[in-house]
Amino acid sequence: MDTISRRKFLSLTTGAIAVGVASNFLTLDQIAEAAISRPLPSDTPILVVVTLYGGNDGLNTLIPYTDSIYFSSRPDISYKPETMLPLDAELALNPSMTGIKSLWDQKKVAIIRGVGYPKPDHSHFSSMAKWQSASPEKHVSSGWLGRWLDSQPEDPMLAISLGSVLPPMLAGNKISGSALPLGGLVIPKGSLANQCIKLSTPAPTDSNLMAAAATSMRNLFSVSTSIQPVLKAPAPIAVDLPTVNGGNAGGDNNLSQQLDVVAKLIAAGSPTKVWSVSLGGFDTHANEANAQAELLGVVSTSLSRFLSQLKSTTRSKDVTVMVYSEFGRRVKGNASQGTDHGTSGPMFLLGEKVKGGFYGDQPSLSKLIDGDLAVTTDFRDVYATVLDSILKSPAEQTLGKWSGRANFLQPD
Amino acid sequence: MNVKRLETSRLFHRFGFGPQPGEYALALRDGVTATRARLTNVPLGQAADFPVIEPEISDLGKRPKANSPEVVPFSIALRNQTKQIELWWLDMMVLSDHGLTERLVWFWHGHWATSIKKINYALPMFKQNKVFRTHALGNFYDLSKEMLNDGALQLWLDGQDNTVKAPNENLGRELLELFVLGVNRYSEDDVKAISRALTGYQVVRSNGLVTINQKRRDAMPISLLGKTAVFNGDTLIDFLVAREDCATFIAERFWYRFISSTEDMPSSFAAKKAFASRDIATAVQAMAADSSMQDTKFSMVKSPVEWFISVCRALELTPSALQTTNQLMNFLDKLGQVPFSPPNVGGWPAGQSWLSSATAQYRLAFATWLIKQSDLVALQQIPREARVLESADWLGVPEWSARTQSALRTAVDDPARFALLALCSPEYIVSA
Repeated sequence: MDTISRRKFLSLTTGAIAVGVASNFLTLDQIAEAAISRPLPSDTPILVVVTLYGGNDGLNTLIPYTDSIYFSSRPDISYKPETMLPLDAELALNPSMTGIKSLWDQKKVAIIRGVGYPKPDHSHFSSMAKWQSASPEKHVSSGWLGRWLDSQPEDPMLAISLGSVLPPMLAGNKISGSALPLGGLVIPKGSLANQCIKLSTPAPTDSNLMAAAATSMRNLFSVSTSIQPVLKAPAPIAVDLPTVNGGNAGGDNNLSQQLDVVAKLIAAGSPTKVWSVSLGGFDTHANEANAQAELLGVVSTSLSRFLSQLKSTTRSKDVTVMVYSEFGRRVKGNASQGTDHGTSGPMFLLGEKVKGGFYGDQPSLSKLIDGDLAVTTDFRDVYATVLDSILKSPAEQTLGKWSGRANFLQPD
Repeated sequence: MNVKRLETSRLFHRFGFGPQPGEYALALRDGVTATRARLTNVPLGQAADFPVIEPEISDLGKRPKANSPEVVPFSIALRNQTKQIELWWLDMMVLSDHGLTERLVWFWHGHWATSIKKINYALPMFKQNKVFRTHALGNFYDLSKEMLNDGALQLWLDGQDNTVKAPNENLGRELLELFVLGVNRYSEDDVKAISRALTGYQVVRSNGLVTINQKRRDAMPISLLGKTAVFNGDTLIDFLVAREDCATFIAERFWYRFISSTEDMPSSFAAKKAFASRDIATAVQAMAADSSMQDTKFSMVKSPVEWFISVCRALELTPSALQTTNQLMNFLDKLGQVPFSPPNVGGWPAGQSWLSSATAQYRLAFATWLIKQSDLVALQQIPREARVLESADWLGVPEWSARTQSALRTAVDDPARFALLALCSPEYIVSA
C-alpha cells in the first residue's frame, strides 16, 4: 500500500470527523485512492449480523419434537414430526431449514438455546432496543456495535448496514456505521462533488444532529467511491450450488440480495469488519406455520448460499454469521393460528470459526414463567465472545463489566 | 444564535411543514408571540376555495381469486386508489392553509401507526386519515374511541381474530404500550385482561366497517390496572385516558416528535400539565410556548416526508403535479418513508436513523429532480450579492454556518445549484 495515501487517509478519518472539529479536507480523488488501496488485511475476522425483526418463534425454529407439551400447546401451528429436521433426540429444525441443517451436519452451526435477558420485555421496540443497545437494565441511546465503533479509529467503511435506514445497533455516541442501499450509491461528480464536500465539512456551530447530517454526506464520498466499482461486478459463485448462466439460481428475496452485496464486498477486500443485514415479518400473531416456514426458508437458503459463495474467495474462514431476533413467542398458540409475544429464543452462529453444536440449556416446556419460556443464556454472553474473539476488542469497553461468555468458537 | 429567529423557525418547521417564500421574513417582523398565536390557532373550517379535491375512493369488494380474470382489473384499481390517497395527502400537507392541522394528522398517523401493506385496501386507510383530520386538534378521548372503531387499525393489529375462545393480544398490548399509556406502565396481566375486553370486533376488510359480534365477545368482568369491571370499547378508553400516565405518555410523544428525539423530556414540559383536560390543541399550544423552544440543544432531524413537503412549499411545487408521480413515490420509497406505510406499529424512525450516507445520496438526487421542476422565483428575486444570507429567510433557516455560507458562495451564479446545496445543507435537513 502507498504509505502516503494511507497517512493522508488516516488523517482524514480520525481527527476530521469528530463532531465540531474543523480541519483540512482532502480531495475526493485522494479519498477514493486511499479507500481502494487499503483492503482488509487477510485473516481479519468478519462479523455478519442478521436481525430478524418481529420476534421469531424460537419454538417453531428449534423444535422440541419429542416433547408432547409442544404439540398440545399449539395444536394449530405445530409441524408434523416426520417433516422436521432432527438434530438430536430432542430438538429438530423447522422443516424449511434444510440449508442450515446441512451446515449443522458439517459442524458449522452453533445454536445457543434460550437466549434473552433479565426481566423479558414483550414490546417489540423495548426488546429490540435492549438487544441492539446491549443495555437491558438501563436505557441508552447508543448501540453495542456503535460503541465498539467509538473505540476504533474512525472509518466509515468499518461497519456497514445494508438498506437505507441505519439500525440503532450501529449508532455510537461519537461514530456511527454507514448504510448502503441495495443497488449501490450514485455519488455526485465534478464541481458538485467539491461543493458537497465543502457543504459537509464540520462546522463549529453544528448541533450534534447537524454534525451527523454533515457526516452522512461526507461518508457518501468515502464509502461509495470505493464500493461502487465492486457492486458492478458479479457476485462470487457459490461453489456448492448449481450455476445458471454463470451465476447462482435464487437470490430473488431481499435477504439474499443483501447478502449478495455483502459477499461481493467481502470478496473485494472491503475494509469492513461488521456487516448488518435483516429480514422482517416475524410478528406471526396469525396464521403462523406457513408464514414462518417461508421466512425461515429464506433465512436458511440465503445463509447457506452466502457461506457457499464465500468458499470461492479467500475470506471464507474469516466470516462468522450471527442470527438473532428481539424475542421468541408465547408457548401456547392463540386463536388465530398464531402466537403472541414471548421471551427467549435460540441464536444461531454460523461459519468456519464456529464450533458446531448446542450451547446453553433448552428452556423447559413444563417450567414456564407466566406462560413463557425461561431465559437460560444472556445475550451479552454471546456479544462478549463476539467482541473478544471476533472483533478482538475488549468486551468491557462496549458492554461494561460482564463476565459471561459463550464458548462457541474454535480455539484460535 | 438569535433566539427570535430560532423560535420562529421552529414554529414554521415543527408546527407546520415550513414557510412559503416570504412568510418567515414577515413573521420575524410580527414577532414571536403574534406568529405563535397565528400558527397554532385552531381553525374553524376549511377555506371555501380550498385547492385540493378529495378523491372518491369506492369499495372494491372482496379480492378476486388468484389467477382469475377479475384479479387484474381489481389490482389495477387498488393500485390507483392507493396512489390517489397518497398524492391527495401529500398535496394537503403542501397546500393546506392550516399547517398545524396537517402536522398533527401526520403525528397521529405515526402514533397509531397502521400500514396499508397489511390492510391491502385504500378505503380503510383513507377513512382512518379522515378520523385523524377530524380529531387532530380535538379531544383525545374522542380520538381514542374512534380509533378503537377504526377498521384499518383493527385489521392491522389482528383485532378481528381476538375472540373469547382465545384472545389475540396484539391490539391490547399496543393500546397500552404505544397508543395510550406507554411501556412499563402496566403489567403482563393487564395485557391479558385488556385483550379479553377487546374481543368481538369484526371488520369488513374492503371498506373498514367495524361491527361487534356478541358471540365472540368476552363479557366477563376483567381486572385491569386495579379496577374490576366489564368494559366495552368506550368505557375502556374512558378509564385508560383518564389515567395520569396517559397525560405523561402523550406529552412524551409530543416531546419526542416536536421538540427532541434525542434528549429526555423534562418534568416541567408544559404540554403535560396542559393535557389535563385531554384537549389536544391546548397541549400543543402549551408546547409551542414552552421554554424548550428557545434552547438550541433541541434540534430535530426532518424525516424524508417532512423535508420533501417543506421543499415543495419553498419551491412552490404541488406533489400531484410533479413529473412523474411514479418517480416521486419512488424517491420517497428510496428514502424510506411513504405515507400510509410506516415500517411497523411503532411508527416512523426519528433522528439519526434518517442520516445515513444512503439517504444523503437519495436526498441529493431527489432535490435535483424537484429543482428542475421549479422556476425558483423566490430565489431568483434575491439579488445575487445578498443571496447567501437572505436565502436563510427564504427557507426559514435561523442562520447558515460559515461552512454552508462558503459552499453557497460557490453557486451564487447558478440558482439551481444554489438551491440544491441549500436544501441539502445540514441546517435545512435538521431543524435547528
